[in-house]
Amino acid sequence: MATSTLIQPVLPSEPELQSFASAAAQLLIERQPRSPGSRAGSRRAGVGLQHFDHRDYTPGDEVRHIDWRQTARRRQPIVRRFESESVADWTLLLDASSSMAVQGAAKWHAAVRIAAAMSYALLQLGHRVGLLAFGTRVLSECPRGRGQHHYAAIARLLLSLQPAQTGERSELGACARHLHGATTVFTLSDFLASDDMRRDLGAMARRCMSLHAMQVTDATETRLRLTGDFDLVDVETAARMPAHATERANVLASDERAAMTVRLRSFCARSGVAFTDWDIANPWQHALLGHLVQARSNC
Amino acid sequence: MLTLVSPLWLLGLLLLPVIRWLHRGGRHRRAVFVSSLSLWRGSAVSAPAAGERRPPDPAWRHRALMAALIFVALAEPRLPLQRSRITLWIDDSPSMQTREAQGTRLGLGLAQARRLLSEAGNTDLEVRSLGDPWRNLGGLGDETVATLSENAGPREPAPPPAALLRRDRMHWLLTDGAHAALLDWPGGQPPDRVIEEAGITRNAGLERISARRSPSAPETIDLLLKITNGGTAAETREVVISTDVGEAARSTQRIEPGSSARVSASIGATTRVRVRLEPGDALVEDDSIELDLTPLRRRRVAADSKCPVTLVAAVAAHPALAVAPDNAADVDTTLDCGTGGSVAERATVRVVADRVPARLDGPLQWSPSIAESRRIRLDAEPLQAASALHARPADMVLLAVGDEPVIVRRAGAPSLIETSLDFGAMGVARGPGVPLLVNLMFESALGERLLDRIAIVDRGPTSVRVAPEVRGGAAARTQPGQLPVASSITPGASDLQLSRSWTWPLLAVALAVLLWEIVSLCRQWFRLGGNNAGAAFE
Repeated sequence: MATSTLIQPVLPSEPELQSFASAAAQLLIERQPRSPGSRAGSRRAGVGLQHFDHRDYTPGDEVRHIDWRQTARRRQPIVRRFESESVADWTLLLDASSSMAVQGAAKWHAAVRIAAAMSYALLQLGHRVGLLAFGTRVLSECPRGRGQHHYAAIARLLLSLQPAQTGERSELGACARHLHGATTVFTLSDFLASDDMRRDLGAMARRCMSLHAMQVTDATETRLRLTGDFDLVDVETAARMPAHATERANVLASDERAAMTVRLRSFCARSGVAFTDWDIANPWQHALLGHLVQARSNC
Repeated sequence: MLTLVSPLWLLGLLLLPVIRWLHRGGRHRRAVFVSSLSLWRGSAVSAPAAGERRPPDPAWRHRALMAALIFVALAEPRLPLQRSRITLWIDDSPSMQTREAQGTRLGLGLAQARRLLSEAGNTDLEVRSLGDPWRNLGGLGDETVATLSENAGPREPAPPPAALLRRDRMHWLLTDGAHAALLDWPGGQPPDRVIEEAGITRNAGLERISARRSPSAPETIDLLLKITNGGTAAETREVVISTDVGEAARSTQRIEPGSSARVSASIGATTRVRVRLEPGDALVEDDSIELDLTPLRRRRVAADSKCPVTLVAAVAAHPALAVAPDNAADVDTTLDCGTGGSVAERATVRVVADRVPARLDGPLQWSPSIAESRRIRLDAEPLQAASALHARPADMVLLAVGDEPVIVRRAGAPSLIETSLDFGAMGVARGPGVPLLVNLMFESALGERLLDRIAIVDRGPTSVRVAPEVRGGAAARTQPGQLPVASSITPGASDLQLSRSWTWPLLAVALAVLLWEIVSLCRQWFRLGGNNAGAAFE
């Protein structure tokens, strides 16, 4: 056996999700470039041009949005609300390859939490959210939908997923034909594959409206506790490599991981992909908010 | 120079490359699953052909060291002596008298020992024989050699006593290897060197001869011979039995190796019998045997003319007694019935009769000194006493009827047995009573058993064995013609460091390495949390 039995992932609690959603709301209410063929979601108040309704003025509202006619009529400050134009389609791509299952599937559990939190926050804002779990092929799919009931469907799917312990490779390209229309893609993966999935990322960036890539890393997977001679076996390809484990070998593995991240970051910068590498030892909220802030500033 | 007793064990070192292959090249190695091999290129082991020096593997080192130590230990390495204290134990069993081509085994072995000792240089030597281990014969001079050659004979070999196996001395053993028990030294301590002299492997010898008077013909002696083949090939021997008057019997026997043949014969009464095997062989000493038959001769009894006929007839019928005239000189004992002619210097059985015989009343009471099996079942009815015996305090009442003693052993020497029984009246009753009482009284008077006497010479089953017994070599052996083999060194002597086998120290180190390896594996197992391969990482 490559790893022990996986532990059921634990999704973030409701308060955690709400807290994150409120913090991320301003970051996710963003004018999105509209591509031909894409359509807005349901009517929802937000930043836009189409009038939506009125509401009482609250400190902080922009003065230019005050509807003076209604203010005079009601004898109190009334502001206009506009139909949100940032409501969009989002698709979360979750790497369920075997490399996510090593080390007690710590990376998988972290990625599931991120996916759940991202779904919750997006659905809160009225976006349509879909989920694709991929390995060598698309392993599971939750079609795009909106509303809190859709979050429940995504959560059920996330809890039911278990990455194969061996033999499941990462083929991001397999998700391409499952992406329909203009959609923003949020990829959660360790990107441990040949060429760091750069080819697939490039193709995906050209196909979707906006592409986010969050690299999930675990520092402990490059720190072997064993010393001496043994065979290293790739959980995805089952390839064996005679190795001699020393402390120096751990350092070299960490360096290789860092170099891979640098290559990936550089590629994403060139390709207009919002990229973040997240060590799962850090809190997921910080990582995700940081990613959204960075993505907003890039836009 | 370091020498090895069993150098073939060093071939086991050829397993080291196999162990290395199992560690580094085999498909039996432990696998650790990683998320991507691309991260671990830095730890990849290059192919052996690349010539790149690989970093050391502690497990490989442990196991290779352990295997090497075990195989070297099994080869029994020994270090030479600079100067040593040596006790030379000499097997002086009969087989050491076997004539080899150039002399007896003992002589050849002593010459070999002298040569080895001279090559060993300055040694503190003491010589002891296994037959008389407590006597230090000193050095291996001509006088000692002569003494050993003279005294070597039919003695059962035995290992040296533990008290003399001092650990500050080396112990050499000169033997022919015919008796494996000689190498079973106390405490499992093997000899430091065995000088073995054995070439002849064929021998048949007389192991035992026994004789007894024929129960049916008192003037005939029955002989029983045991002839054993102590060699490795079947032997045929002619057994020639001679007495004082010449050859008495002859027969031919074929004996298989390791087996024995028993030959019985009857000869006329004589004082000595001699048996020899023809043709002789390398061990002359066991080809003949002599037996003194004097203990089996009939004891002459000077019988008083007044003795009852029944009593004299009982003496005459006794197979170990012979009636002699009253005035005969060369008699062994006297039967006195009241004539008073008995000689005071001889054991005497005296029949006292000074009254009219009277019937005795009461149960028979035997002396406790007479064993239950020797007590005679007499019918008290016909017993009559012709005198009243009085036992003095130092006397021993052998038989009493009721309160009245009837057979008394008088105190003093020569022994005197007095009886008041009326044998004339007992003879009327017929039966074995009178002969058995006569036997009892004369046995008591002569102080020896008269019936079923056996004369025997028994050399023991190992006396004829000359072929070396197969046995695992625990010590350095020196075969005839070989150069001396260095012995082992053991520290501990005050000024002279002695050699000992390094086998056990090496095995102890191997055991320590094994424990080290086990501890390492246990630590690793605990660190990995049992069989969880995922826990191979921090």
